[in-house]
Amino acid sequence: MKKRGRGIATIMFGFGYGEGFPDHSIASAEVEDEGKILIRTAAADVGQGVLTVITQIAAEVLKVKPEVIRIIPGDTHLTKNSGSSSATRQTFFTGNAVKKASEGLLSNIYHYASIEFRSNYVELGIKDGYIFRNDNPNNKISYWELAKRVKEKGDCLKAEASFFPHTDKPDPKTGQGEKVYVAYTFVTQVVEVEVDTDTGIVQVLNVYTTADIGKAVNPKNVEGQIEGGTVQGIGMALMEEQVVKEGITLNPDLTGYLIPTSMDTPLFTTRIVENEDSEGPFGAKGIGEPATIATAPAIANAIYDATGARICDLPITPEKILKALKEKRGDCKE
Amino acid sequence: MTKLIIELTINGKKKKVETTPSTRLLDLIRDDLHLTGTKEGCGKGECGACTVIMNGELVASCLVLAPQADGAVITTIEGVGDDKGLDPVQEAFIESGAIQCGFCTPGMILAAKKMLEENLHPTEEEIKRGISGNLCRCTGYQKIFDAIRLAADRLSSRDGGRGEEDA
Repeated sequence: MKKRGRGIATIMFGFGYGEGFPDHSIASAEVEDEGKILIRTAAADVGQGVLTVITQIAAEVLKVKPEVIRIIPGDTHLTKNSGSSSATRQTFFTGNAVKKASEGLLSNIYHYASIEFRSNYVELGIKDGYIFRNDNPNNKISYWELAKRVKEKGDCLKAEASFFPHTDKPDPKTGQGEKVYVAYTFVTQVVEVEVDTDTGIVQVLNVYTTADIGKAVNPKNVEGQIEGGTVQGIGMALMEEQVVKEGITLNPDLTGYLIPTSMDTPLFTTRIVENEDSEGPFGAKGIGEPATIATAPAIANAIYDATGARICDLPITPEKILKALKEKRGDCKE
Repeated sequence: MTKLIIELTINGKKKKVETTPSTRLLDLIRDDLHLTGTKEGCGKGECGACTVIMNGELVASCLVLAPQADGAVITTIEGVGDDKGLDPVQEAFIESGAIQCGFCTPGMILAAKKMLEENLHPTEEEIKRGISGNLCRCTGYQKIFDAIRLAADRLSSRDGGRGEEDA
């Protein structure tokens, strides 16, 4: 018989290294030749989209089109430390470093332009890579012309910045601290499953997600992270299990260690909550790892709702479900 | 090691390549022909990253020996789209956000192209099944389905919904 059920789970996730580690990111922004603005960062884009995010941030701050931004990423000769692409930290840390470097560059643009225009910076306007006096917008200088003039004076139109927030080491006894992580992402998922009580096979039908990520710098990327993380969570909940015997992995391949395929993908409904409550760039927080965490407990709850079987060790394989149903087990006592 | 020479047509170009009986087609494509768009994932036909189209069929190039490709017509990801622009399937992948790390993407795009060549009006179920031999660890597949749907809609409206082979 096929039985349906729903389950819910809510998680909070403190991101960045936190716990008093000297976690930080360095970035620079400079006006370079041929109509480009160069951002240097060592942040590794492994597909999560950090380079898209920082392109947007730099373009927003410097009031230019995204095409104007050029990035030198991850070259040890040309970039400084941005920390690892882990701990759900790059949008927050490198996003902030790039925002601060871009703001530094913008300040320098105002500074040098006010000298050029023999004017005060509050009387200057900026649009599409040009700076001008508000009382005469037609008399404008491009960032690149300004950079040339600055260079003739022996200076350079650039800025470097780092984002280096303070966190506290948690008390070893209580695990508590004043500020253990820079910020927290919150995710709630409701999962709807169908359990075949003859075979024990679980199909995840629908996943409804709300995520409070402060600000979605790139909503499509955020959705992609949530969908990808959720499908990894489905794998964790239902199929992924490394079998180790005497130090040897017995299933070191994708026939023995199953991961979700396109056939295992549910329908997604995702709502993003933009509650700007942190020091993140434009209020943004991280979504990489938080996207994975709620799925497995929500699925376990949904299976319980559907069948009355409460299974507490992952993955919840068909064998475990059939065994629990046979024993009419409603709790986790073995 | 015995050497032998095979001839194949790859991305519309005839090539003569010296190889060995135990060389995999994947290695011939990547190492000898320097077409590194084709990726090696698992190396045992489970993940679909090394997918190419050989004589009109999707194959895992890690499971094909190079001599088996003698006389074959092969399309790799480099043969999709041209200097004038990207293929509609590639454009749809970019627009839909169907690419994250990109490692599965060449195989996914070839699988999607092959599916749409056979069926320009796939159902959601047919789309899922059409790429079920290609694993993706990043996207959760949803945006890949969206991309294939977008490409199918565009291609079918372009050829008036007739579903021609060369659409």
